[in-house]
Amino acid sequence: MKRLHIERKSNILCAAVGAALMLSACASTTKAERTPMPEVAISANTQLLTDQELAFINASDELVLYNLTPEKLAVKLAEKSPQEAKQLVQALMQTSAQRRYQANHTASKATPAEGIEEPLAYLADSDIIPLNPEAGGYNRQRVLQPALFDRYKREPGPFSLKRYLNEEGGIPTFANAPVAIRKADLVAGAVDVAFVGVPLALGSGWRDDKHAPTLLRGMYGLSGYSVEGGIDPTLAMQVADYGNIAVDNMSPELNIEHITQQLTDMLEAGTIPFIVGGDHSIMFSSVSAVAGHFSDTPVSVLHLDAHYRGERDKDHFYSDEQSVANLLEASVIEGENLIQVGLRGASQNKSALMWLRENSVKYHTMAQVERDSWPVVMEQALTELSASAGKTFVSFDMSVVDPAFVSGSGQPVAGGISVRQAMTLVRRACAETEVAGFEMLGVAPFLDLSYNTALSANQIMHACLTGIAMRKSGMDNANYIDPMALSHQ
Amino acid sequence: MKLKTLLLATSWAALSSFSVQALQETAEKEEVQSPPSLPGEVHSKIDSATPGLMPVKPLKDVPEDILALLDALPEAKREFVLSGKGASVLKPDLMYELMRKASTQEVEQYVDTMLTVYDQVQYKQGRDTDQITLNTDSENYNTWRVKRPKELDPEREAGPISLGRYLGGGRSGIPTFARSPVALSPEDLVAGEVDVAILGAPLDMGSGWRDAIHGPRAMRMLGRGTGGADVSTMIDPGKVLNIVDYGDAAIDQLSTERSVQEVRDRVREIAETGAIPFIIGGDHSLEYPNVAAIADVYGKGKVGVVHFDAHLDTGRGRVHLLDHGQPIYRLMKEAHVRPEDYIQVGLRAHYSKSYYEWEREIGMHYHTMAEVERRGWDAVMERVLQEATENTEFLYVSFDVDVLDPAFQPGTGTPVSGGLTMREAIPIVRRLCAETNLVGFDIVELAPALDTTYVSTLNANSLMFACLTGVAMHKKGITQKGFISELSSEHGQTDYYGDKK
Repeated sequence: MKRLHIERKSNILCAAVGAALMLSACASTTKAERTPMPEVAISANTQLLTDQELAFINASDELVLYNLTPEKLAVKLAEKSPQEAKQLVQALMQTSAQRRYQANHTASKATPAEGIEEPLAYLADSDIIPLNPEAGGYNRQRVLQPALFDRYKREPGPFSLKRYLNEEGGIPTFANAPVAIRKADLVAGAVDVAFVGVPLALGSGWRDDKHAPTLLRGMYGLSGYSVEGGIDPTLAMQVADYGNIAVDNMSPELNIEHITQQLTDMLEAGTIPFIVGGDHSIMFSSVSAVAGHFSDTPVSVLHLDAHYRGERDKDHFYSDEQSVANLLEASVIEGENLIQVGLRGASQNKSALMWLRENSVKYHTMAQVERDSWPVVMEQALTELSASAGKTFVSFDMSVVDPAFVSGSGQPVAGGISVRQAMTLVRRACAETEVAGFEMLGVAPFLDLSYNTALSANQIMHACLTGIAMRKSGMDNANYIDPMALSHQ
Repeated sequence: MKLKTLLLATSWAALSSFSVQALQETAEKEEVQSPPSLPGEVHSKIDSATPGLMPVKPLKDVPEDILALLDALPEAKREFVLSGKGASVLKPDLMYELMRKASTQEVEQYVDTMLTVYDQVQYKQGRDTDQITLNTDSENYNTWRVKRPKELDPEREAGPISLGRYLGGGRSGIPTFARSPVALSPEDLVAGEVDVAILGAPLDMGSGWRDAIHGPRAMRMLGRGTGGADVSTMIDPGKVLNIVDYGDAAIDQLSTERSVQEVRDRVREIAETGAIPFIIGGDHSLEYPNVAAIADVYGKGKVGVVHFDAHLDTGRGRVHLLDHGQPIYRLMKEAHVRPEDYIQVGLRAHYSKSYYEWEREIGMHYHTMAEVERRGWDAVMERVLQEATENTEFLYVSFDVDVLDPAFQPGTGTPVSGGLTMREAIPIVRRLCAETNLVGFDIVELAPALDTTYVSTLNANSLMFACLTGVAMHKKGITQKGFISELSSEHGQTDYYGDKK
């Protein structure tokens, strides 16, 4: 730590020298930190700074906000007089102080008329977002219709919406499957896998995840035979469409409890939920439901995503960027049981990776794929996944796939894996471990003018369906592929 | 002018049996309107139709056989059903039907279930949260809205910052609204004697397809449609007005509620300098902070609003205090605008009768596409223009691009077929901005990702240009209603129209 401090000081000096001598780039001087410093008497203009202020100009984490490093700031300070330098540092410190919550501080100049309440006027300085308890039917959106209120009663169980024996069109449902809209339907039908839409669109990128459940219902690729697995999962298993879970698209916070409860219902019915999101904030609810239901069994999560979802220290408690941080903080799962594959992009920075390491998360970036090749990384991930010999939950974000294959990801990052690679990993994870649930998140159909994203999303889910069916039929050994498909001889 | 409009309307009505029918229907349903509200006072009937605040109506005309069934129940359960509370969870007709088929025991089961569900639906203190808590321990609680210290940038005099490298400025390639210089503070606006400051507010919480976050960016980047002279008036707003790009207002994309205060503060600081804020959204919840800020400056109940929209946006009584379907209710509920000063144009989304009945009751002025169908666009436009200057000294115009037909505007999150054409929209926007005392303007709900072409953004830019033209006309003192340039509307080589002077 001390060494770091000295190095930093020398960097500041170097920066100041750079500025004083009008050197074009101080970076080169910084790199050669082991070469002797030139003997030049310079002033970094920090002589008026207090200890606190000196500490501030060396606080990298704080300076990031200003797109500054201690070195860059030192250059700025060297350009100024000691008084100006102090003024700049004080301005930065005052700005930083404003970042924090300040009780009783009102910045707004809203001028409510006498006796008229303006509940939204002072919000930014309040520690809550008020809702409207006077709303008519406050919970109406999330209350289930009792079967008793049905005008025409029916026996519980999945029911088909098809008129014909062999119908591909008609009313669109996931995998062309029959519909089960109540827990009792899942129980009565002994449904193995049920798809459920969660049209939540509060992600940090393009927000169209709310249309993914509808679009994927209307797209092919989710039913029928798998050449790799040598099995038709929709034939081998009881599959159903469980409809959508109601969401509040004005607040991620208000969805957590209801989504968790609905997924728990499905798990209690003995059904594997296939969640079609929705933004990645859903992951907190889905993993909570699975880990809560299988509380006696270790649950490992295979998380395919360009993003690590471990943002911390946010003003909101829940969002798509925080799901992993929330899961670990609440000890829903342990970091060592989380395997992340496909990380890349600017938010996966050093502090993100450090945090993942500190939490023992088994992360696999695209940098590792670049160096070690995909098969190696995939094998490693599968080995790690099966290590706990418990349940597996697969959290799939469309951003893991390269935008060349699927432009319809709400948070695309170039340089991802292929659809082929995604399908193989997903099929193997679902065949070689005991899958308790799967989620397909981050699909934003309007960003794709073609059918491509929707079809790929369905086929990736089909790969997991296939894996589950393979495992049920005993084909669960490592990298099993139907021999019929491997050779014509 | 008024007489002419009336005559025109009558002759059209006579020609169309549908219209005659409609007129009769109106006559039959003539209602007593409540007295106008005073500026700064909340209208007494504001919550006469707000879900949750209306009294529950007891069941009427309960059939004898059902009454007999209910009489067999414990008193509390019987009362619950007759009080009408149960009707909110099971419609009476269906309940009667189900109970007629049920045994005595099953009847009670129905009522028990209704009680359970009713309890689940209602807000219950302790069980249900009435607020969203935030992380006050976070180092980043306010980071989203903290301002960049000006000491970080080279010192400069206050005033609009030109981004141009070449002679005359303005051609640098940095995309700004209407290719304007940039202003970042009220001091810049004052120093630059700015007439119009265009502010981006990329709030993306609308309920349809979402991409309003990219509205400001798209309009800045396209640029096309925002410069040069307007053919109808031969006015070049860029030469008449000092226009600036005021940057974006900070937004918390996880909370409309938090975002709108920041927007209100930014809009207010523009209006306080005397400049006219043009706000580019973002979704239509922005109408609330925009107009509230204008009322902060010009006075509660002193500003009228023309609201172009396919939607009424008078939603109310919802769990969230504000979303893009509720701005008008919130503005009236907080007395920023009087109901009689609200003028809505282009309505056609599928709202039920009760919405219109309530608007009549409190005195709002709505102009649906049904009125356009019945009277023709020109008549409706004249009526809107007249109403816009009748009650208030100042006017705010809120333009939701979904008022346009999706043929012109596929790039919006809440499209509704059967809307205005650009040919209809341009003159009314230009004229409202020219012929009234305009104090604010917004364009909201542009969602560029939904339009693979430039068309939606070009049209949004062109509407902003139409208003800029109007503001320029107003500044130049052109007071003639419906002014059209003689030079550009007539080649003058012949007297074809017979009106050559």
